[in-house]
Amino acid sequence: MEKIDTSFFSKEREADLFVVGESVQRADARGHVTGQTQFYEDVTFPNTLHLKMVRSTHHHALIKNIDIEPAMKVPGVVRVLTHKDVPNNWYTILKLIGVGPDDEPVLPEDRVLFKGEQVCAVLAETEQAALEGARRVVADYEELPPVFDVEEAMTSKPFKQAGTNYFVYEGHNCRRIRFGDVDKGFAEADHIIEHRYESAPIEHAPTETTGCTAKPEGSGRVTVYSNTQALYFTLDNMALILGVPFNKLRLVGGTVGGGFGGKVDVIVEPIAALGAMLTNRPVKYAYSRAEEMQVSSPRAAERLYIKDGVMKDGRIVARKITLYVDAGAYCRHSTYGTTKAAAHMPGPYSIPNVHVDAYCVYTNRTPSSAMRGFGVTIGDFALESQMDQVARHLGMDPMELRLINAYRDGDTKAHRKTVEGAALVEVIQAAARQTGKELAPRFAAMSSYQREA
Amino acid sequence: MKHSVVALTVNGAERQVLVAPGTTLLDALRESQGLTGTRRGCDQGACGACTVLVDGKTMMSCLLPVETIDGATIDTIEGLTPMEGLHPIQEAFLEGFATQCGFCTSGMIMATAGLLARNPDPSREDAVRAISGNICRCTGYEAIIDAVLDAAARMRAAKRDKAA
Amino acid sequence: MLQTVATPGSLPETHALLSKLDGARLIAGGTAVMPTLNAGTDEFSSLVSLRAAGLSGIVVKDGVVTIGAATTMTELADEPALAFLQSALETIASPTIRNMATIGGNLFVKQPYGDLSACLIALGATATVSDGTATRIEPVEKLVASRLGPKDIVTQLAFSIPSPGSFKFVKAGRKALNAAAIVTVAAVVSVSDGVVSQCRIGLGGVAECAVRARSVEEALTGNPLDRTHAEQAAAKADRDIEPFDDSHASAWYRARVTPVHIRRALVGE
Repeated sequence: MEKIDTSFFSKEREADLFVVGESVQRADARGHVTGQTQFYEDVTFPNTLHLKMVRSTHHHALIKNIDIEPAMKVPGVVRVLTHKDVPNNWYTILKLIGVGPDDEPVLPEDRVLFKGEQVCAVLAETEQAALEGARRVVADYEELPPVFDVEEAMTSKPFKQAGTNYFVYEGHNCRRIRFGDVDKGFAEADHIIEHRYESAPIEHAPTETTGCTAKPEGSGRVTVYSNTQALYFTLDNMALILGVPFNKLRLVGGTVGGGFGGKVDVIVEPIAALGAMLTNRPVKYAYSRAEEMQVSSPRAAERLYIKDGVMKDGRIVARKITLYVDAGAYCRHSTYGTTKAAAHMPGPYSIPNVHVDAYCVYTNRTPSSAMRGFGVTIGDFALESQMDQVARHLGMDPMELRLINAYRDGDTKAHRKTVEGAALVEVIQAAARQTGKELAPRFAAMSSYQREA
Repeated sequence: MKHSVVALTVNGAERQVLVAPGTTLLDALRESQGLTGTRRGCDQGACGACTVLVDGKTMMSCLLPVETIDGATIDTIEGLTPMEGLHPIQEAFLEGFATQCGFCTSGMIMATAGLLARNPDPSREDAVRAISGNICRCTGYEAIIDAVLDAAARMRAAKRDKAA
Repeated sequence: MLQTVATPGSLPETHALLSKLDGARLIAGGTAVMPTLNAGTDEFSSLVSLRAAGLSGIVVKDGVVTIGAATTMTELADEPALAFLQSALETIASPTIRNMATIGGNLFVKQPYGDLSACLIALGATATVSDGTATRIEPVEKLVASRLGPKDIVTQLAFSIPSPGSFKFVKAGRKALNAAAIVTVAAVVSVSDGVVSQCRIGLGGVAECAVRARSVEEALTGNPLDRTHAEQAAAKADRDIEPFDDSHASAWYRARVTPVHIRRALVGE
């Protein structure tokens, strides 16, 4: 294992590190290699009902009618849950930290906004009976035109029951950063370099699909065995949706067969728990592989336009960014992700004039949500690609371009925060050394502690 | 719907398993035998998490209707684990940091067992091929491939010691 | 919903069950049927397994190899007389799937799977089909297009072992191993007096079923087997294929690269 390089910032190291930099065995590895690690699906109960979801076959449609009778005739089918069964039919994941609006029903009432959206849930004695029941439900739709492109969605007819096709941030149609005067910066610049960057949604594809088993207890509680990455989030949101006090619910979990952010959306637990409460039997709701790939939230697709004003010597004097996050049909974590994206702009560089508009846009695609550094990763791809484009345009070394613009301790960021603990200069210097690249003395002497005269 | 009784030898023990039509070996192992070390990742033979040995050969247990394998011998991760300590493949995975979330691990280890039964001295390429039906979304595979080769070396060394 | 799974012990018994059971579907290795069952299906309500019907085994006699339809890919790879197929077999799925998947089943899997069928087409293989009362012999290229009648069972496949070095195979996929085909090319090419005297080319991944590239074969026959002629012949492939879009590649891409991979299969560059 690579040892920690302690040559940098030696004065800031007050304690010896005993674990960081050492190989330490995972506490759970022995369970893994013997197959004894207990995942949620390893806990089973007699008399369990299996839940299979009827899903929207359209990207955007009004629901005219849902006929559950044919499903009820399938041997083994016990009950079908629709929106009428859900006590508080809003699934608003960030409600507890004050982020609205209520835009996603747990089960839809009058419309579906993406292909694969949950329509109604079939509970049956066996998995095969539940699957057949789900195939027998007849849903009539009136198809409506879908929108898949973020910029088109900004100007097309709003498709939700209420509100716009974009999230409203404190009265604005986007999350904004205004610092200095970009137009003045562009006017002064020697070069204007503008590019568009875009990404597709990315699915986490955990090897274990999302799922849970909800078990009613004699005490009147419901215990939910889940592979969620967010036990308390799940507990709180379930309580809101089910209209029960927190202490009526117990979550068991923490062992996740691959998450990567894909298991923080509280989708399966409220419905399984509802089924358990209404039938007084354990209910298991596990995504099939196809469901995991189609309907579990991916990383959002993003589109960024970056326009830079650059001086001949490599100084970036103005940066204007227009950023679109494709939230898919519903908010989930994307409103927060878009704020993170805005907060990450304009990258770890000190640029005197910055203008950022970051839009969180709804389209008729699978809702996107958390995934490893969401809001940041795609922005970084765009920013660093742009830095390479600028370097190429100027005929300048890409490391040197970054060193010239890297922020230093004491600089003011575009968000009007003072930079502390910057290390970009040192990281680039170390990268140069490790790749056998010789930096000119001027660049080798740079430091994050202060900007050279 | 008529259930069937199927005879299987599971980890050395003779078992009679009662199954509904089309019950997969995966479900039978997990639900009626309590052998939950064999994992379900896709139910379509694409991820390898349910890999077990059937008559000594690696197979995806999610693709086997139990009624079609009456009389078969099944070995799972639970059967690989010795009474004391760990099997050399398990040791290699443990000490080589070849697990993260652990969900693919049983399948990876059984795929390795299948390889080493056929080929005790695999090349790196052989190791890569052997686990090419097993998906791991955490590790990036390198540690697992190293562990497969380390396991082979441990098993060859143990065999030499026994012979000596 | 599935009502019955039968595992008959002989071919006549298999035929009897196939006629008797409602909504019966044959299952061999299970690698294509079981994902459908596990996802829930109305396509069939009974399965008749070929696992115990006595349809596996390989016989090599007088340069002709006869293979039981339920023989697995691994069993094929372990047969010394079929060493020429080894590298093609290794591109198909994973060793675990090859321990299950059968040569007969591979004829009927949905494209872009079914690389072995492309090989069998190139080898001029025939299939013996039994309908319970009579048997008939059909070329594989015809069978994969027409598929089976409701009573039909493929019992065995046969082909002549090609002369050394005449079997050629290239598969393009998204990954080095365990990938579905973007394009699969299998060919048997005989050269005499400096020109191609005979050739058969099978393609996978570029039409609804594995197909024979007759236009390429015609253009190649009578010409030297070199890069220029291979390229000219391969350019005719668009007449033989009807590529499709899927998650692995677009129809456009498949059409664009098919001639390239045919050339690479034929002349190795």
